[in-house]
Amino acid sequence: MGNILTIANKELRIYLTTWTSYIIFGAFVLISAFFFQQLVLDYQLRSQEYTQYQYKDMLAQMNLTDWVVAPLLSNVVVFFLFMMPILTMRLFSEERKTKTLQLLMTTPVRPVEIVLGKYVAALCIMLIMLGLSFFFPVLLHIFGATSDGTTPLDWNTITIGYLGMALFGAASVAVGLLTSSLTESQIVAVISSFAILLMLYVIGAAARGQEGVWEQFFQYLSITTHLEGFLRGMIRLPDLVYYLSLSFFGIFLTYQVIEAERWK
Amino acid sequence: MIKIQSLTKRYRDLTAVNDISFEVAKGEIVGFLGPNGAGKSTTMKMLTGFLPATSGTAKVAGFDVFERPMEVKRNIGYLPEIPPVYPDLTVEEYLNFVAKLKGLKGGVLKDEVDRVIKRVSLEAVHHRLIRNISKGYQQRTGLAQALLGNPSVLILDEPTVGLDPRQIGEVRSLIRELAGQYTVILSTHILQEVTATCQRVVIINQGDIVADDPLETLVEKHSTGNQPPSLEQIFLSLTEV
Repeated sequence: MGNILTIANKELRIYLTTWTSYIIFGAFVLISAFFFQQLVLDYQLRSQEYTQYQYKDMLAQMNLTDWVVAPLLSNVVVFFLFMMPILTMRLFSEERKTKTLQLLMTTPVRPVEIVLGKYVAALCIMLIMLGLSFFFPVLLHIFGATSDGTTPLDWNTITIGYLGMALFGAASVAVGLLTSSLTESQIVAVISSFAILLMLYVIGAAARGQEGVWEQFFQYLSITTHLEGFLRGMIRLPDLVYYLSLSFFGIFLTYQVIEAERWK
Repeated sequence: MIKIQSLTKRYRDLTAVNDISFEVAKGEIVGFLGPNGAGKSTTMKMLTGFLPATSGTAKVAGFDVFERPMEVKRNIGYLPEIPPVYPDLTVEEYLNFVAKLKGLKGGVLKDEVDRVIKRVSLEAVHHRLIRNISKGYQQRTGLAQALLGNPSVLILDEPTVGLDPRQIGEVRSLIRELAGQYTVILSTHILQEVTATCQRVVIINQGDIVADDPLETLVEKHSTGNQPPSLEQIFLSLTEV
């Protein structure tokens, strides 16, 4: 346990003292701010329209949680898809390139501790990113309050939505960790994890032309369909299992790769 | 302290190390010599447990490298060919990190890091990022890392590569000072290094050991006529292809 923290601590130190993380954080805030503004404007426009034409049913359905926060998070997903490979690419590739993996492998640390330490560090950076986007719902909470003082947001749904996002992030970090362990080239690592994540993202589209079992199969593989439940405030077992097993497999295979280093 | 028995490493159709055996006694400094590509680094990697052997055994401090890797790793300080440093950490952060991995804690850790910083004279740069210090200092940082935790065995793979003449002199005298206290295997293809630091020489060529003698014996064995041969002549005659 101590060794895991030592490794994680070192990784975090490098993450937080080099530019890459801050550039990604900055880009992330900028892009989500843009999406947020568009979504709020759109919301405003529609509610004015509906009030004007007296669409009572439509107005009753409109709320900031489902119309602004949930779509914002679905946009954040796309950003994560691009950025997680970049955040994770150096984890093992750099150590291979600079021969420091040799140092880690010749100190009394078990391979599983190296893998988990690195995973934990990348997970922290992902959570910091996610935390930055939390600013937007808080903004809505403060400025969107109705005149009678009730909160305009359903915080239960939002919390569950963020839980889903964290699980999605954890799974993509695990994929990035794995590709990084396989090569000493960060470029190869970033391209392969992006390719894997993109495949998992678009495979949902393959479900459309299919029927029955195949349709379900492709839908189950899709990394984003499992998020829909969370964004609507529902924790469903298959979704949980999907993200947790993807994370587990990523970590487990990385462990196998690093352990196999001793048997080459 | 170190016992290697018929150690072999084969990569598909290439035999890097071919059935070598030798022993190193406690406190001895052994020069591990050979031309580039002779199998020096491979042997050292197998000794540290970084590479598995195809066959044969290696023991360090009484522990089998392949069966008890954790105990062996606790007893070894290893400086690979390229110093394994993180450019984005400062010298001190780096040494703290390695010390923690070696299981040191609290006050002991701090004292030990201070000790090795003094030992290899890194006081002037210990707050700087490794990326910004010279190659010589990086090499010494690598050496400092190997000394952390006072391991009984030091395995140094070409410790003076890339240093200027003054630094080479400093590192060599440092290694001489380590004699008696540590058991040292030092690989090199620089012959003066051996005469300057080692008591015994093991010469390896194309994966085979071609000589394993104390320096004087080696010279005696190869003398022809009145003039004692230089180590260079011996080396060249032993490693002929």
